[in-house]
Amino acid sequence: MRVLLLLTDLYANGGIQRFNRTFLAACVRMDVRCDVLSLHDTEASIGRHAADPKVCVRGFGGHRLAFIAAAFATLWRRRYDRIFIGHINLLVPILAIARLGLATWTPTYLVAHGIEVWCGISPARQRALRRITRVLCVSHYTRTRLQELVPGLDPARLRIFPNALSEIWRCQPDGDGQSIVPERYILSVTRLHRGDRYKGLVTVIEALSMVADTDLHHVVVGHGNDAAFLQGVAFRLGIAHRIHFLNRVSDDELMDLYARCMAFVLPSGKEGFGIVFLEAMYFGAPVIAAAEKGALDVVRHEETGLLVRFGDVPALCAAIERIIADPALRERLRRGGKAAVTDAGAFTFERFVERSREMFLAAPESNA
Amino acid sequence: MCGILGLFDPGGIEQDLFTFSAALDRLKRRGPDDEGLWHDPFIQLGHRRLAIVDLSPAGHQPMVSGDRRYVIVFNGEIYNHRELRRRLDPPGGWASQSDTETLLEAYRAWGPGCLDLLNGMFAFAIWDREERRVFLARDRMGVKPLYLGERGGRFAFGSRPGAVTRLLQQDPLDFEPGALRAYLELGYVPAPLSFHRHVRKLPPAHYAIVDARGERVVRYWDFRCVAPDPSMRRRTETELAEELEALLHASVRERLMSDVPLGAFLSGGVDSALVVAAMKAVGVEHPRTFTINFREAAFDEGLAAAAAARHLGVDHVHETVTVDSLLELLPEYAAEYDEPFADSSAFPTMALARLARRHVTVALTGDGADEIFGGYHYYPLIERLRRTLEWSPLARAAVGTVARALPAHRAKLLAGALRQPDVVDLFNYLRSVGKDYAPLLDADVLRATASSTDWFAQYASSFAVDLSPAETAMRLDAGFTLPELFLQKVDVATMAFSLEARCPMTDYRLVEWAMRLPVEYKLRGSTGKFLLKRVLFKYLPEAHVRRPKMGFGVPIAAWLRGPLAEWARELVYDESVMSRLPLERQRVRALLEDQRSGRREAHPLLWTVLMLLYFVRMHGARVESPGATRRAVA
Repeated sequence: MRVLLLLTDLYANGGIQRFNRTFLAACVRMDVRCDVLSLHDTEASIGRHAADPKVCVRGFGGHRLAFIAAAFATLWRRRYDRIFIGHINLLVPILAIARLGLATWTPTYLVAHGIEVWCGISPARQRALRRITRVLCVSHYTRTRLQELVPGLDPARLRIFPNALSEIWRCQPDGDGQSIVPERYILSVTRLHRGDRYKGLVTVIEALSMVADTDLHHVVVGHGNDAAFLQGVAFRLGIAHRIHFLNRVSDDELMDLYARCMAFVLPSGKEGFGIVFLEAMYFGAPVIAAAEKGALDVVRHEETGLLVRFGDVPALCAAIERIIADPALRERLRRGGKAAVTDAGAFTFERFVERSREMFLAAPESNA
Repeated sequence: MCGILGLFDPGGIEQDLFTFSAALDRLKRRGPDDEGLWHDPFIQLGHRRLAIVDLSPAGHQPMVSGDRRYVIVFNGEIYNHRELRRRLDPPGGWASQSDTETLLEAYRAWGPGCLDLLNGMFAFAIWDREERRVFLARDRMGVKPLYLGERGGRFAFGSRPGAVTRLLQQDPLDFEPGALRAYLELGYVPAPLSFHRHVRKLPPAHYAIVDARGERVVRYWDFRCVAPDPSMRRRTETELAEELEALLHASVRERLMSDVPLGAFLSGGVDSALVVAAMKAVGVEHPRTFTINFREAAFDEGLAAAAAARHLGVDHVHETVTVDSLLELLPEYAAEYDEPFADSSAFPTMALARLARRHVTVALTGDGADEIFGGYHYYPLIERLRRTLEWSPLARAAVGTVARALPAHRAKLLAGALRQPDVVDLFNYLRSVGKDYAPLLDADVLRATASSTDWFAQYASSFAVDLSPAETAMRLDAGFTLPELFLQKVDVATMAFSLEARCPMTDYRLVEWAMRLPVEYKLRGSTGKFLLKRVLFKYLPEAHVRRPKMGFGVPIAAWLRGPLAEWARELVYDESVMSRLPLERQRVRALLEDQRSGRREAHPLLWTVLMLLYFVRMHGARVESPGATRRAVA
């Protein structure tokens, strides 16, 4: 089987990129040959990653026209068994190319992650969505939202396709490089962009300022143009010395941070899925999330983590204090979280591969 | 209305009761009926009482618990205290009928958790003699003020910042640069800032615990994250209006708890009329209501208030004054506000409080309705501008450039609005009094301090997801403008005349309900407070309810060109005042000249600056007697 993957990016940091990498890894596991066209990757970013003989990745450095031309040429040269589109922004041009007669009958799949499909879908995209074979929704909320936003979209075409922990995370931290952080800390891993304030970091900083344990610190892994604002918040709350912003860390360092934290806290209001929760669970970090949208699929209250109302600072403060003060609760959440991403858990890579196989091996169904 | 004061030193306190009494004297007007002091080796506590509930000496404060472990000083009212008493069983039985004792026992029984059970307006401190710990708390919406200060290891708190600075022996003009910037931008100082360095406000819905290890400030209630409830749309408008009315009646009924005469402010508007209508509906046969009428028709709501009073059948009291006569209150205004404060509606509010105090000791007001039910004119505007926030920066810049070139003031405002990147910035732009304050302020202060946008953005980060722009603006107003500007104004203006104000619209159950109410029941086209008005249709003719909103305005621009022109000029050119502030003098003077010459209408910002300068003069030099100042401004 040969699949064409058309992605916005593959090798940057972020949930969508991680989903793409996991999907590619699943294809490799299934012996599927993959041609990947990645809009934003560059030859340099691709070159930094190990090559697989079954995978051919080309990057276009953000040049849209070059990307579209390459998609056209690729579909002109070769017939694919499946087309996989990684982002709704690519849907309309790719479907237009396919309908030129190049791949009219090739089953086409789109992944709908989160915020990119929640906030309104143009009429052209709505028409395109009604025509493709399947829309893979990473969470129940995304599916519900698509049904609300796209009248007439056949529910049978929507499939829940949750993220999973990629194979690359399936190792243990080496325990080095931890001197950069304090002994006792909670951890957040996220983008720090002004437009992403829904991630709830301000709420975490506010809650930390109220926690009785004044030796507890907060480590924030991520970068973006909002770091100065967040540092200002910490300063104004008088806890700047307890918040540590780590701009970029290696995968090894991140694993180590997950493994050693008292809790992983990301009370985001608009998480499409929240793959960082899975990573935290894998490394045994008790998770605190907001009871909103995609996170509801990932975190089960009192089983794999604690859920609080988005923006509820007193509740978040109480949740942090509970986890810090109660070793038995910490242990229970650790075990519950770990079970979700290992063995027969719902979010293991093996389950992801199974879902991918079912999807690809199902009787080919063309676009409408 | 009372005043509380305290000084705590974990290392042991120097017993300077003379200084403490002098500081407590600054609270005299808050509580003219009684004074109390209590101290031990670590703390001094003081209280000034305006007796409202249980007028007997049993309500004296500071109040010590039966087991002598806890001591409380309390300002405010706990409206559900009788209900709480039924759940409490103090070891030695009840010693009084006062809500102070109920609060003390509630804290003994439930600790900080007691705050979740309180319905009221309050600021209090409880000293735990066993743990050597002070517990301080402020009500959910910030009706009652509470200032905290720390200097040299000593911790002070009180109902007025001036009393706290005095206890800390701090120069009242040792100001906090961030507060100065916020004041110039907004016309008030937002919590947790206070104008004074080392002093800050305890924000609404927070408590603080102070002991030898330091201080911890904790939020105990949060309306910000309450999401609009789509299921409310399944109810009819009539059902929602009935629900709202029932909540309002419950709130008003609880606020009638008083052993002294009680009345209400009544303007020609929706909010106060609703409160008065609710008073009648819950059984007050002849509520006494109060209005200030102005001889100048442009500012007068007296006729509308009288018409509302007639329809509602209340005992209406009014006083007619000239707008210019309010200037007599300027020295009082500056003396009572321990921070610079630029809302000119404080003048008529003070005049109204003065009138009401001649007849009653407690007055209900309609404050809070505009913020939680969508009464301000800019909410529909923000809703209309929501689409422009989705435009590309280039498109916004292009339209903004065209709008800026147009001569109309509104076009220039639109141009400014289009420059704002998101709804929080847009709110800040529309709400700020000094849109071009920055050039007046020293560049170093600007660099070192946060803009009010940062405060708003920080606050808004906890708002429920997917709020409309207008709802975002309402919640910012409910979190900042209401407690820091309007409730503070009402507190200080009524305090100046020993009157207690109660605000039924700030009842937390009503606020939570309003937060759940979908936005279309607040704004309908350009109509604000849609559902609230619907409730009022039951009591007043529709034409009266639909009158355009008027507000409590005074003619600042005309004053600055007329009776206050010389006073303003003298202030702006007073080197002894200007030298105390990091302001760009030439630019401040240019602002004044622009206003005087009519080249530019800059009175909101200019008034803000003048109130700052006047504050510095009053609190810095302390050379003018109120009489001399009155002559100067007249």
